[in-house]
Amino acid sequence: MEVHVRIPTPLKKLTGEQDVIKAKGRTVGEVLQWLTETYPGLQERLRDEQGEVRRFINIYVNDEDIRFIQNLETPVKEGDQISIIPAIAGGSSLKRRVTLTFPAKLIKEPVIYNIGHRFSLVTNIRSANVSENVGWVTLEIDGEEEEYLKALDYLKEIGVKVEPVERDIIE
Amino acid sequence: MSYTEGLKCRECKREYPISPIHVCEFCFGPLEVVYHYDKIKENLTREKIEDRPKSMWRYQELLPLDDNPTIGTDVGFTPLIRSEGLAKALGVRELYLKNDAVNYPTLSFKDRVVSVALSKAKEFGFQIVACASTGNLANSVAGLAAAGGFKSYIFVPYDLEQGKILGTLIYGTNLIGIKGSYDEVNRLCSEIAENYGWAFVNINIRPFYAEGSKTFGFEIAEQLGWRVPQHIVVPMAGGSLITKIWKGFKELETIGLLDEVNTKIHGAQASGCNPIISAFKEGIDWIKPQRPQTIAKSLAIGNPADGYYALKTIRESGGWAEDVTDKEIIEGMKLLAETEGIFTETAGGVTVGVTKKLIEKGIIPRDESILISITGNGLKTQEAIQDEVGRPIIIEARLSEFEKIVAPKQEARVQVIF
Repeated sequence: MEVHVRIPTPLKKLTGEQDVIKAKGRTVGEVLQWLTETYPGLQERLRDEQGEVRRFINIYVNDEDIRFIQNLETPVKEGDQISIIPAIAGGSSLKRRVTLTFPAKLIKEPVIYNIGHRFSLVTNIRSANVSENVGWVTLEIDGEEEEYLKALDYLKEIGVKVEPVERDIIE
Repeated sequence: MSYTEGLKCRECKREYPISPIHVCEFCFGPLEVVYHYDKIKENLTREKIEDRPKSMWRYQELLPLDDNPTIGTDVGFTPLIRSEGLAKALGVRELYLKNDAVNYPTLSFKDRVVSVALSKAKEFGFQIVACASTGNLANSVAGLAAAGGFKSYIFVPYDLEQGKILGTLIYGTNLIGIKGSYDEVNRLCSEIAENYGWAFVNINIRPFYAEGSKTFGFEIAEQLGWRVPQHIVVPMAGGSLITKIWKGFKELETIGLLDEVNTKIHGAQASGCNPIISAFKEGIDWIKPQRPQTIAKSLAIGNPADGYYALKTIRESGGWAEDVTDKEIIEGMKLLAETEGIFTETAGGVTVGVTKKLIEKGIIPRDESILISITGNGLKTQEAIQDEVGRPIIIEARLSEFEKIVAPKQEARVQVIF
C-alpha cells in the first residue's frame, strides 16, 4: 500500500529535503514505522522516549486528525495523503516563504536576482507563473531578519506585492 | 537584576537562552521561563513585598525582565473583596471575589500579561508590537503600546463586540478584523509572526507574556494574608491563566512565602465553546477542537493552545471542570451585579455561573473558602445583555406623573423630620 506523506519544513533536512515521501503501510502506525526505518533521524523527532507520538505533533489522514479516527490504528489505502504537522507554529530556524506578485512593468526586471545581490539573502524559487501582464513567484528566503526586512521594504517600494505563504500549521 | 535562568521546553526539557522564541525546535513543544528559585528565596520576603508600591510589580523577582519594567508600571493589585451578598445568594460561608474588571488601564486581567510582554519587547529592542485577540488583549496591547511608544498591529475576529472594537481603535493602532473565528485569526498571525520581525505578544513573546498571569495568583495569596482559598474558579479560553495561577501558588510555596498549597482549581467555560471541559469529562488528555458558538466571546477559543496543561492543572489540584449556557452566563452577570455591585463581562458570568453549579452539585462544599475570578469589565460586552436588563421608566417632569407611574401614593412613604 503506497501513501503520500507530507513532511513539515523543520523536518525536511532529515528526509533529504523532500516535501512529500511515498511510504508504505496498512495503518498510520505502520507508515510511521516505515518512515523512521527509512529516515532514522525522524524517530526521536516524532516519538518520545516511550515511543509515543510527541504531544505537539499532529498527524492527519486526508485532512482528518487521526485522534478523531483510530489514532495509529487508522487504516490507510492506496493514494491516501498523510500530513505531519507541528501543533504550534513558529521557531526561529524556519525559512520564510513569501509569494511575490509582480505588476506588468516589472515582469522583465531581474527582481529576484536583485534581492540576492543587494541583501545578504539566499533565495530559492518554489513555484512560479509568469504571463505577459502579471507574474507571481513563491520564494523561500533564508538570511538575517534585518536583511530580510530591508528586502521586503525594497520590494514594496518598487511595487511588488508581498504576502506570507499559507502554511499547513494549526495553532 | 534578573533571576531568570533561560527558556525550557515544557515537553522535552531542552534549554534555550532568553530570546523572542516560543516553540522548541526539536519536539515543537512550548517554551517556558525558568528561574533561579534558590536565589529568589534568599532575597525575597513577605515584608519586602508588602513595603513596595501596590502594583503587580511588587513580585518583580518572579517575572522575566532583566531590568525594571518600563511599560504598565501601575498595573495590578486589584481589589480582593470578601463577598456578603453573593455568598448569601449562593448559600456559602466564605466567598471572595478577585476583581480584575477594574484592572488598570484597560479593565481586564490582560493588562498584567501585556505589561510584561511589552516591557520585555522593549528589552529585546522591538519597535512594533502585535497580537491576535478576542478583544480584551486587543484593548490592552493598543493602550499600553500607545503609552510605551510602540507602533501596534492588532488582529481580531471582525464580529467582535462594539465596545472592544472602539476600545482598541481609540489608541490609534492598526486594527485588522479577520473574516473568521479567533482560531483562524491566530493561525494567520502565526504565519505573519514568522514573516515579519514584530513582537507578537501571544506568539513569539508568549513565554514572557504568560508569566504576567501569575501575579493574579500572587495577589490573591497576599491579599488573603499569605494563604490560598480552598477553591478557585477560573475562566478558560486558551487555558493559560489557570495554569499560571497554579504555577504562581507553587512558586510562592517553593520560595517559602506560602506554607501549603491545597487549593482545588476549577476550570470554567461556556457550553458553546467547551473543548477543555469536554476533554475533562471524557477523561482524555487531548483537546478536540470546536467551532465556538457563545456570547462569551472573550472565551471563544475552539482550539486552546494551553488546553493540555489546563487539564493537567485541574486534575493535579483535584479540581473540577464545568460549563454554563448563554442563559446561565447572563444570569451570572446579573446576580453578581445585583448582589455585589460589580458589572463584569460575559467571562465573569461564566465563572459566577459555574461556581453556582459546582456548589449545587456538591463539588464545592458550602463551608469551605471559595474565590471567584472576575477577569473583565461588563461595559465592554453590552450587546450580550442589552435585552436582558429591562428599560428605564420614562416620565414627564411632573410630580403627579411620578406618583402615578413610579411610586403610587398607597406605597409606604417615609417622612423625614429633622
